[in-house]
Amino acid sequence: MRFEVNLTKTEINIGIMFSTSGSYAAVGMSMFAGSQLAISEINADANLPFRFTPVVINPGGVITAYFDAARTLLSKHKVNHIFGCYTSSSRKEVLPLFEKHDGLLWYPSHYEGFETSDNVIYTGAAPNQHILPLARHLMAHHGKRGWFVGSNYVWAWENNRILREALIEVGGKVVGERYFPVGELDLDALTQQIIHDRPDFIFNTLIGESSYSFLQSLRTAALAAGIDQPSSMPVASCSLSEAELPLLGESASGHLSSSVYFSTINSPENNRFVGAWNRQFSHLGHACADAEATYIAVHLLASAISRGGDASFASVQAAARGLQFHAPQGLVTVDPDNLHCAMRPLIGRSTAEGTFDILHSDCGPVRPDPYLVWSSLADVSAQRNGSFVWAVK
Amino acid sequence: MTKKITQNFRGLRASVIHPNDTNRQILCAVLGKLGLVVTAVEAVNFGDFHNCDVVFVDADEGIDALPQTEKCASDLLMLPCIALVGNEAPSRLARVVRRGCASHILKPVRNTGVYTALLLAMNDHAKKQKMVGEIEALQQRLAGRRVVTQAIVGILHEHNVDLDTAYAWLRAEAMTRRLTIDIVARERVANLGFGMAHSSGKRPDLDQPIKNHRNRRSTQ
Repeated sequence: MRFEVNLTKTEINIGIMFSTSGSYAAVGMSMFAGSQLAISEINADANLPFRFTPVVINPGGVITAYFDAARTLLSKHKVNHIFGCYTSSSRKEVLPLFEKHDGLLWYPSHYEGFETSDNVIYTGAAPNQHILPLARHLMAHHGKRGWFVGSNYVWAWENNRILREALIEVGGKVVGERYFPVGELDLDALTQQIIHDRPDFIFNTLIGESSYSFLQSLRTAALAAGIDQPSSMPVASCSLSEAELPLLGESASGHLSSSVYFSTINSPENNRFVGAWNRQFSHLGHACADAEATYIAVHLLASAISRGGDASFASVQAAARGLQFHAPQGLVTVDPDNLHCAMRPLIGRSTAEGTFDILHSDCGPVRPDPYLVWSSLADVSAQRNGSFVWAVK
Repeated sequence: MTKKITQNFRGLRASVIHPNDTNRQILCAVLGKLGLVVTAVEAVNFGDFHNCDVVFVDADEGIDALPQTEKCASDLLMLPCIALVGNEAPSRLARVVRRGCASHILKPVRNTGVYTALLLAMNDHAKKQKMVGEIEALQQRLAGRRVVTQAIVGILHEHNVDLDTAYAWLRAEAMTRRLTIDIVARERVANLGFGMAHSSGKRPDLDQPIKNHRNRRSTQ
């Protein structure tokens, strides 16, 4: 549809598909809140000739429910745009539906990469923006002996592979590696083993309740063994966020996280965002990366509709390429080639107050490299604009 | 430890032999994202496989349309080849097998699946090339065996010694001169003066008989 000049705003239905219940509900609720914040801002903007009407389905963290939710939104409600998914398994599950229905999935979460779909706009961090910066930080500040623990699915496998290869390359060692089903809570035996092995750091790719249970169990076991766990063997992850810290109780502080957003970023855009968040959603903890990525995604859709002239899949997908948004984290640019976003990597350490102290910040936005074609651990400033390098031996 | 697989294909030169349609456009776009340098061409305009590291070929029409020369066929066999399959009829797929395609992508081509096909083809091809090298080395050794046998029979007749002694003699000669037994045997067969290194008449092999025959090797 083309927008006519009239006084009434065009209603555009958009799908919202986050798990606000289930084992990773804390993150799902934050993402949902991020979308609500952006929708209310867009709908209040008198300069825009349209308003968003959210159609909400909660898949409850059940992988098969995502397929049904996406199908209902795309075929019954005829939405072109859905904001949703947190785990990669859920995204992979619904992707064929988006291709079939010419739908666009706005995926607002960091993930492990190795995907570029023309039906997805990725507003979370790609692996060169989270796992590689974390690997560099760990090796520079904590050592080369890592213990890997993760939820048994692709997020953990792939991140662990990247870090394992990075460690081995510099003569490091993976002391131990274990995977658990999503939602597993019985992790005391694991923490005892880790205390016994005394690695330089622990790389945690557990998600949701498993992660909270692990962090609490480890902190308790370390205290009992007289170990200052945060300084002598910190837990590092690419997913721990402000949304989860309130669920960790006494064990919330001292964990390392690699992210493109922390609520403690000091900028006018973030101060405004955090202010609005705290007014409406302070019961969910501080604003977090996944909430901000969702907030960015909704704003990017509004900008793409304005730029392209209508809300159809083809128009928005074309208009989104190269689109820029002054987000709370800083300037975000949609990569014209792979539809991921250029964002600035940060390393933070969690505090007892439920926020992160920012320990390291890259000097500017880093272009997304979902297949890790152009980035490597050694080459911090790997740029795709340079000459081709023969990488295949 | 398992060997690390090749997973980064930056800078690789790809030839895509396919009519210019959506399939080709999507494929070329994904290959570009993966860091490959892509040349897309229709089969009828296809030249040769120079300056090319991997080939994507249309299994429906393109394979037949390629030049039907022996050189073209053997060049293609030397490169990792990925078939773009639309029609799954056995007659079409038979051509894919004959061309030695290492993996395939089903049409319509999607963004998903291209990386997998490329990764499998490149790694499978590397494995195949290694095996080809090993087979060539083995064939050379096998060919050398005939000459070694000839040389042993020659010594046997000339010096009236038994089979083991003749072999031990040949082997000792090779070790003394730091040559492979194949080369020494070839010299002997060509009448280049077997035993020249032992012109003193001393035969080290006879003085120090080799006990462990299992260690005999024709090439070093």
